[in-house]
Amino acid sequence: MERMPTTPTPALEARDLVIDVPGRDDGRALDLCVAPGQVWGVLGPNGVGKTTLLHTLAGLRTPRRGEVRLDGRPLGALRRREVARRLGLVFQERHDGFPAAVRETALIGRHPYLSPWQLESAEDRRLAEAALERLDVAHLAERLVNTLSGGERQRLAIATVLTQAPALWLADEPTNHLDLHHQAAVMALLAEQAAEGRAVLMCLHDLNLAARWCDHLLLLYPDGEACWGPADAMLVPEALERLYGQRLATAWVDGAPVFVPAR
Amino acid sequence: MARFPRSALTALVLCGGLLGPVASPARGEVCAVDDTDREVCLAAPARRIAALSPGATELVYAAGAGERVVAVVAYSDYPPEAREVASVGSHTRVDLERLVALRPELVIGWVTGNPAEQLERIEALGVPVFYIEPRSFEGVASAIERLARLAGTRVAGDAEAERFRQGMAALAERYAEAAPVPVFYQVWDEPLMTINDDHLIGQVLNLCGGVNVFGDLERLVPRLDEEAVLAADPEAILAGGMGEENRDWLTHWERYPELTAVDRDNLFFVPPSLIQRPTPRLLEGSRLFCEKLDRARERRGEQGS
Amino acid sequence: MIPMIRPLGALALAALAALALSVALGSVTLPPEEILAALGGRGEALSRTLILELRLPRSLAAFAVGGLLAVAGALMQVLLRNPLADPYVLGLSGGASVGALLAMLAGFGSVLVSGSAFVGALVSTLLVFGLAHGHGGWTPARLLLTGVVVAAGWGAVITLMLAVSPAQRLPGMLYWLMGDLSHAGTPWPLLALLLLVCLLVVPLGRSLNVLARGPLQAAALGVAVRRLEWTLYLAASLLTAAAVTGAGSIGFVGLVVPHMLRLVLGNDQRLILPACALAGGTLLLLADTLARTLIAPEQLPVGVITALLGVPTFLFLLYRGQ
Repeated sequence: MERMPTTPTPALEARDLVIDVPGRDDGRALDLCVAPGQVWGVLGPNGVGKTTLLHTLAGLRTPRRGEVRLDGRPLGALRRREVARRLGLVFQERHDGFPAAVRETALIGRHPYLSPWQLESAEDRRLAEAALERLDVAHLAERLVNTLSGGERQRLAIATVLTQAPALWLADEPTNHLDLHHQAAVMALLAEQAAEGRAVLMCLHDLNLAARWCDHLLLLYPDGEACWGPADAMLVPEALERLYGQRLATAWVDGAPVFVPAR
Repeated sequence: MARFPRSALTALVLCGGLLGPVASPARGEVCAVDDTDREVCLAAPARRIAALSPGATELVYAAGAGERVVAVVAYSDYPPEAREVASVGSHTRVDLERLVALRPELVIGWVTGNPAEQLERIEALGVPVFYIEPRSFEGVASAIERLARLAGTRVAGDAEAERFRQGMAALAERYAEAAPVPVFYQVWDEPLMTINDDHLIGQVLNLCGGVNVFGDLERLVPRLDEEAVLAADPEAILAGGMGEENRDWLTHWERYPELTAVDRDNLFFVPPSLIQRPTPRLLEGSRLFCEKLDRARERRGEQGS
Repeated sequence: MIPMIRPLGALALAALAALALSVALGSVTLPPEEILAALGGRGEALSRTLILELRLPRSLAAFAVGGLLAVAGALMQVLLRNPLADPYVLGLSGGASVGALLAMLAGFGSVLVSGSAFVGALVSTLLVFGLAHGHGGWTPARLLLTGVVVAAGWGAVITLMLAVSPAQRLPGMLYWLMGDLSHAGTPWPLLALLLLVCLLVVPLGRSLNVLARGPLQAAALGVAVRRLEWTLYLAASLLTAAAVTGAGSIGFVGLVVPHMLRLVLGNDQRLILPACALAGGTLLLLADTLARTLIAPEQLPVGVITALLGVPTFLFLLYRGQ
C-alpha cells in the first residue's frame, strides 16, 4: 500500500450513512472512506443488507439518512453517466428478456463513454476483447448469454465492468458460481485493479477469501451493529463468531489466518 | 419588386377568364337536395350512376333510370336486371378503385349504411354523391322524383312517384277508420328485435290501423326479450325472416298458446324485401300488411260466435 | 456501420418491391406503361386517379401504419421487458375507439372523429400511467397489469356504447372498430411521424440495449432509467395513437414483427428499430394489397391477412434454428 500514490480525496466516502431496508430499524450509521488502492470486503450473514448497501453506495437506492460522496462530490449531484464513468458494479442477479451475444454484452461496458450517435470504436472493441480474454470467456464471444453456465455468466459480468474500466469497483459476491481456480483468478484481478490505483469494495460470503485478499473489512451484524477497519484488526475469531453465530476454529497458513466452522 | 405580383395577378385574371364560362350555369344543369340537406348540381343529367345500396338501386330503377346504372353492390337483386350490373363490393366496404374505373357521373350513397369516409373520399375524387335515407312514405316518393331529376328521367320518375303516393294515400283513406289491432312486428329473432312508431315499418303498421305494442319505445330498432312480448300480448304477430318463405320465426311463438295472437292463429309472414326496403315495393308490402290485419279483425268475429 | 447496412438495405429493397407490387395490383388491371405514365403525372386521367389518388396514398398509408405499429411494439416490449407486449397492451386502442365512437354519437364528421380518437388514445395513456404511478413509482409489471385492466374497462364501455347507440349510427361505429386502410386519407403526416420517430429513437438504441438488461444494470451503466422509460412510453403511445387514428386497430404487426426481426437479426435495438419500421411497413403493405385484390370487388379485413402471412413466417423463423 505504501507504493500507492495517496490522493487527498477518497474514491468513495459514506457519511453518517443509514441504508433503507423497509421495516427495519436504523442500525449503526456508517462513516467509511474507501481510498484508491484499497480492497474492502463486506462480511455479514444472509439478509443483513450487504446488497442494499452496495446499491446505496452506487446511488441506485436512496439512503434513509446520510450521504455518499464519489471523488469528493455528493453522489446525488452527479449524473448517472458521470457516475458510471467512475464507478462500476458487478450485480448478483441478471435479466435477459432479450438476450444478446457475449461480445455485445461486454461491449455495453463502454456505454457511459459514448454519445447517443456514436458507434463503438475499434479501441472500445479492443478493450472488450481484452476483458473477455482476461476473464477466460473470449472463446464464447459469439454465444448468446442465456446459453452460458452460471460461472461463465459471472465471469462475463466481471468482464463487462472491466470493459467499463471504472476507478471504483463495487462487486456483489464476485466469486459466485465460480470454481476454485476462477475464484482465485477473479480475486487476483480485483487485487490487481487496486494495485493499479483503483478502489475495490465487494460483498463476500467466503470469510477466507476476504481474509486472503482484502486489506479492509466491514462487518455487518444482524442486530444492526457494524464495525470496520483494517483487515488485521477485524479478523478476530470472537468478532467473526458473533457475526455469523457460528463457532470457528482458526489455523494459520502462509502467515494468514484461516477460519473453519468448529465442530 | 412590383413585377412579380403584377404578373401573378395577370395570370389569375387570365385563369379566371378561362374558367368563367365553365363555372357559370350551363344549359342542362340539374339540381336536387339530398337527404343531408345539401344541394347536388350536375352540369347535365347523369348518364352513369352508381348505387351503393340495394335500396338505392331499386329507387334509381323506379325513377326510370335503370339503364344508366353502371355499378351496384352485393344483394342488389331487384329489379332482376340489377343482378347483371357490375358489382363494386359490399355496401360496408366499397372497392373504390373499381367504382372509379366505371366512371360514374353520380353516386347514390346511403347516409347510415355506407362508411362516411368512403363517401367523402368519392366526393374528394370529384364524383358528386347524392345521399339518400328515406324515413317516410313521402321521403320515398320524393327520393324517386329527385333521382329522376338528376338522371333526366322526370316523366317516368314523377309518374312512378305519383303512383306510389296515390297508392299509399288510398290505403290511408281506406284504413283511417279501421278498428285498431295491437301488433308485434318482429325484425329479427336472435336477438329479438322490433321497430318503433318512427320506423318506416311502424308507419306502415299505423297506416293499416295497427297499433305497434312497442311503438313508444325510444330506439328506432329496440331489442327485446320474449317476456316483454308475452306481457304486451299482441293480437297479431307479423314477422320478416331470413328468406322470402321462411316461417320458422312464427312457429317459435306457438309454444305460448296463451298469447292472443297464437290463440287466434294471427301469426303472419310478410316477405322482408317488400317491407324492409324504403322503395316503391313498400306499397305492395303495405297492402299485404293491411290484408293480414284485416284477417285478424275477421277472426275477432269468429271468436265471438 | 457495415453489419447494419446490409440487413437494412435488404429490408428497404423489399419495401420498395412491395410498394411497386401494391401500386401495380388492383381490382382494375392497368398495363405497366400506363402505371409508369400515371406515376410521372402523364397518361389518362382515369389511370392518374387510380394510381395517384387511390393506390399510392393507400399503399403509403399502409406502409406508415405498419411501420408505426412495429416500432411501437418493439418499444413497448423493451419498456415492459415483456416479449408478449404489443402496442395495444396498455389500452390505447380501447381509448381511441371510445373517443371515436363518442364523436360519432355526437354526429361529428370524420376529421373530428380522428381527432377524438387521437385524444382518446392519449387520455388512455395518461390514465394508465397515472394509475400505475400511484405512490412510490411504477414497475413494468404494475404498468402492464394496469394497462390490461384499463383495456378491459374500455372494452366494456365500447360494448355499452354499441348497445345503447341509435340504430342509424351503428354501422358507422362498427366500420370504425373493424379497422381498415381504405379510410386512411393522406399518408404524409403518418410517414413524417414514422421518419421523425426513427430519427429520435435510433440514437436511443444503445440505451435500450442496456435497459433490456434490467433497470439497475442500466442505471449502473449510466442510463437515466426513469427518463428513458418515460420517453419510451410516450413515444410508443404517440405512434400507436397515430396508427389507430389512421386505420383503426390492426392486430399482429406490432407483436410479431419485432420478434421475427430479433430471431433473424439479434437483439441490437439500434438495428431492430429501423428494421421494424421497414419490415412492419412491408408486411402491412403486402397484406393490404392482398386484402383488396384477393376476392375483389369484395374487400377482406386486412388483419386477417397480416395474421395469415405472419403466423407461418414467424413459426418458420422460430423453429428454423432448432
